[in-house]
This record gives sequence, structure tokens and C-alpha cells, in this order.
Amino acid sequence: MKNGALLFLGLFAALGVSWAGIIIGSSDQFGALAPYYDAATDQTYPNGMAGVAARGQLVYRDLDCASCHTQQVRRLGFGSDQARGWGTRQSVARDYIYQPFPQLGQSRFGPDLTNFSAHSPIAVAPGGIYQLLYAGRGAMPAFAFLFETRRIVGEPSIHALHLGAGLEPPAGYELVPTPRAEALAAYLLSLSSPYDDYPEAMPPPAPKGEEAKK
Amino acid sequence: MSSPAALSPADSGPVETRGRCPLLLLAGSAVAWLALASVLALISGIQLHDPAFLGGCPILTHGRVQALAETAFVYGWIANAGLALVLWILARLGGEPLRAANWVAAGATFWNLGILLALVGIASGEATAIPLLELPRDVQPLLLAAYGAVALGGVLAWTGRRRDVMYASHWYAVAALFLFPWLLSIAQVTLLWFPVRGTLQAVVAGWYAQGLWTLWMAPLALAVAYYVVPKSTGRSIASYDFASLGFWCLLFVGAWTGGRHLIGGPVPAWISTIAIVAAATLLFHYAIIWLNLRGSGGLGGVPLQFIRFGLLAYVLGGLLDALTAIRGVAEVTQFTHFDEAQQELAFYGAVSMLLLGGLYYALPRLTGRPWAYGGLVRAHFVLTAGAVAVRVVALGAAGLVQGTALNDAAVTFPEIAARTHTWLLLASAAQAVLLLGNLLLLVNFFKSALCPYYAAAVAAVRQTQGIAAEAPVR
Repeated sequence: MKNGALLFLGLFAALGVSWAGIIIGSSDQFGALAPYYDAATDQTYPNGMAGVAARGQLVYRDLDCASCHTQQVRRLGFGSDQARGWGTRQSVARDYIYQPFPQLGQSRFGPDLTNFSAHSPIAVAPGGIYQLLYAGRGAMPAFAFLFETRRIVGEPSIHALHLGAGLEPPAGYELVPTPRAEALAAYLLSLSSPYDDYPEAMPPPAPKGEEAKK
Repeated sequence: MSSPAALSPADSGPVETRGRCPLLLLAGSAVAWLALASVLALISGIQLHDPAFLGGCPILTHGRVQALAETAFVYGWIANAGLALVLWILARLGGEPLRAANWVAAGATFWNLGILLALVGIASGEATAIPLLELPRDVQPLLLAAYGAVALGGVLAWTGRRRDVMYASHWYAVAALFLFPWLLSIAQVTLLWFPVRGTLQAVVAGWYAQGLWTLWMAPLALAVAYYVVPKSTGRSIASYDFASLGFWCLLFVGAWTGGRHLIGGPVPAWISTIAIVAAATLLFHYAIIWLNLRGSGGLGGVPLQFIRFGLLAYVLGGLLDALTAIRGVAEVTQFTHFDEAQQELAFYGAVSMLLLGGLYYALPRLTGRPWAYGGLVRAHFVLTAGAVAVRVVALGAAGLVQGTALNDAAVTFPEIAARTHTWLLLASAAQAVLLLGNLLLLVNFFKSALCPYYAAAVAAVRQTQGIAAEAPVR
């Protein structure tokens, strides 16, 4: 191989072909995926994100929570995602169309969070999410810097944390989540994919041989 | 090392005198970033088995430390070292002094300034949370411009070569120089400036991460291997006719393996299916690399030992990539420490070892002096080779334990943490050894490359002062 121009063209083609195939190809297939209209309930799914939750996603992103948590449920029979209660169906591309920055993640050092608000006991307990973020639990580190101790002016905050004897702030002070913690909590509590009847989320039909056996 | 005493004056030619300053700037920053990245990787590794470690410090939460370590390693160490070596090799193969040396120096300065800004940005919450593209959006145009300025030196050395032949080193070097800016600009436009919708972002991110590996890091390292192996063994490359097939196989097939991290994910299945097929096809490339460069065995000094280790890790990494791309295997290894083990094998075992070998080979020729401490070079090899091997095995074992446990819904997360604890502890210990080795390199580099110039400068100043003192008083 001696020809410099040929090498240059080859390089351009190599990158261009994979770009066209993977990015343009998939963009063409599902880059403009529309919400699904369910005639039975006269509703479209998925629902958009609330503004505060979208801000919370930016906090989730800047703390890189995705370095330990995924947000994708795999299909039945591929891993134990559904047996662990992370969801009742496989996640599909349509679930994410309204998320500005989907955080699929690549590591599961902590549990999957796709349906955090629907399935986690922490999400149900009042103030549970703030307790978890402030103190950490097990392998999850504490994010105490998302909270502040401040003097109580007027009524105490309804979000103030109560950590039990010995850990309470001094009298006249309270431990409260900062706006970033509030946004992050709102985001985590918004995580759920309640609608199960997307056509692409249905389990594939059983192979013909098995049907015949039935 | 290749017996520095035997270094003939002819080894340091006109290529070196003009390119010395910018190339040393690139190599020196690379070595410094490598040390910093090792410190950050150690912190991030300790946090995996001791989550509370430095957790109170907002800039050192696990996610951010990991992003910082990765950025310093890939864009600090690999980019700087790779560019320094590739420019040096292109200039040497061209047989002409490095052109546009001032552009290279300016580009290197701004590139490193950009990396510094990027790290500050990540620490203060501007990270993008995209694997291998954590660089904050706003520094990326600066990095692109700086890269262009550095690469200009390499491109001019290639187009202005004295003889109209191209070697395998040329192909890989030129590919790395051209493809990185294209990849980075496509990724930053589609992910950060005008983000595409939904999980298409994950597809683009996977394509970029894989492209960064197969179209940039691997070519940088292979350009070094294809140059240093024949040079230091004195033997020509075996079955060289196949080399171009291996090259085009990597380029055309490599980027298609990007979807292997999306197996079972919320994207169309064809993306991961193509990735599986591509990962298997890529074995052809690894076979050719092995065929071409297996002659590195048995001969040469410490630089060649680094290269030999790197090539072995490179081929082994390719086999593991193809194996873990299979759906049944991915079901266990996906989302676990096993991914990290593979990355360690590829980025550290393969690319870094090849670049380190290249650096140890090139620096004496660049400065015209042997390494200050030959013993430290040998010590660095022993420490690094041992530590990388231990880390890959430990993280791999942790990944398999974790993956098996994750797939059993009855095993809770604290229990998984307890089961992997020992392996992760071992990985952190090995990371500490890596850090030690990299500090040895840092000391050796500054003693070998910078101190002589400093001493010469001091002597020159003393001499002028002496002349001034002897001048007759009016």
C-alpha cells in the first residue's frame, strides 16, 4: 500500500460506513419514535417528565450515579431483573423518549432504578429517600453534602431530617435537603414505567412447535 | 532496556533536534497525567470496597472520581504519549526533521490546558456521564483545535516523507491522527450540542466508545509496536503481506462492535447482533497482529518486554471481547466488574504497555542520552506487568462472582458486596503497586529528560555571569 490518497479515502470510508450504518440507521429506525396512543384509555404513553424531575436528572448525571446504577430492565429469562422486582416487563426505547439524558448505565454495583418509585420500599417510606441520600446504606455512599444544617426561621421545614437521638442538629437548627437534593429526590421518585401494553414490550409469541404441544 | 550504552550518536539525528522540545512536552505531560490518573483510580477502587472513603468531599464522590480517573488516563496519558510517539515515528520514517514544531508545541500546551479545564469541570459537576466522553461540553472545541495543531506535525511528516513508501506504522499512525477528530466531533454534536432522542444517545455513545478504542487508541499503540518491534529485534516483520488486511479489518469492522454493551437493552436487537458478529470477525485482525508481531519474543531489552506484554494483552483482550459479546456470556458478565477487567486489559495491559515500551525505546533517542536510572525501568516493568495481571484476574473474578450472584434473585446486594470484597481489595492493592510504578517513571523521566537541560541552562547562566564578572570595570 503506497498511495496516500487511497489510504485517506479508506479511512474516511471506514468511519463513514460505520457511522451511516449504526447512527443514521438506528436514527432512521427509532430516532423519531412517537408516543403510543392507547384507544382503550384514550391516553398517550409515556408521560413527560415534570420540570423538577428533569432538573433532578441533571443532578443524577453530574454526580454520575450511573457509574453504579442502571436504568434498564432486561427481558424475562435474560438475567434476574424481573425476579428482583425491578420491573414487570422489558424496558423499551419508547420508555425514554421524553428523557433529555437517558441514564441507561453500564454497572450494577447498586440496584436498577428504572422503576424505583414503584418498587422500592425506600421510595414509599416518608422521607426515606432523604435518609438514604444523607446517610447512605450498605455499599451506597452518603451524599451528606446535598444537605445543610440551618437555623429554623418561623415554621420548621416539612422536609427536615430526623435521624434519632444523638444525631439531631442543635436546638433551634434543622437539617434540610438543598434544592439539588430536592430535585434529585423528585427525579428518583418519578422513575417508573407504569404502562405495560406497548406492542414492542409484549413477550414474543411462543414458537410454533411449543404451541402444537399445548 | 535496549542497552543504552550501545546507543550510537547516529541514533539521535536531525529528526530529534527540531522535534525535541514539543515531543518532550507531550511525553512529559503524559507521564504526569498517568501518575495523577493512577492516584484517582486508586481512590475510585478503594471506594468500591469501602464506600465511605472520602465520601464527604463532593468532588470525590465515586462517580466523579471514576470520571476524573478515566479522563486523565485516556485524554491525558494515552493521548499525549500516543501523539508524542506517533509524531516521532512519522518524522523518523519520513527521514526529515519534524515540521510545524511550533504548532505541535502550541497544540500540546492547549491540549493539556483543555484536559486540566475538563478535570476541573468534572469535579465541579459538568461531567456528561457518558462512558469515555466525560469531558464537559464546553472544553471539547478547544481540545479539537489543539489536537488538530498537534496532528498537523504528524500529517506533514507523512505527506512530506522522503521516500514514497508507506509502512504498517504509517497506516496506523495516520489513521489515529485523522480519525480521532472526526469521531469526537460527531459524538459531541450528536450527544452534547444537539442531543439525539432517547436511547439513541446510548447507541451513539457505544459507537463512540468503541470507535475511540478501535479507531484511535489501538492504532496509536499498534503504530508503535509495528515500528519498535522490527527496529529493536533487527528482524523484519513476519508475514508482512497480511498486515494491510489486518489494518483494514480493524478499521472497517472495529466500530461496529459498539453495540455489545447494549445486549438486552432498550434498543433494536440488530444493533447488538451486528456487534456480536463484528466482535467475532475482528478475531481475524487479532490473528494477523499475532502473526506479524510474534517475532518480538525472546530478544531485546526492557522496552521490548513492555511491547511483548502489550501484544499478548491485546490479543487476549480481543478474544475476551468476542467471548463476552456472546449473549449467554453477556447475561453473566454484563454490568459487572468483568467489564472493568476487560477495560483494564485493553487500556492498561495492551495500549499503555505498548506506549510505555515505545516511550522507553524513544526517549534515549530523542534526548541523545540513556535513561538516568536503568534499574527503575526494569522495576517499572516488573511492577506494572505484575500489577496489571493481578488486577485483570481479580476484577475478572469479582465480575464473575458478582454476575452469578446478580442473576440469582435471592442474593441481596450487601451479600454480593461481601462476596466480591476480597477480590476488590486485591485489585486495589494492585492499583497501589501500579501507582508506585508510575511514580518511578515520573522520577526517571524528569531526571532523564529535564534535568540535563536544566543543568545546561544553569551552567550557561553561570558562564555568562562569570564573563560579566571578569569584564573590566569602567
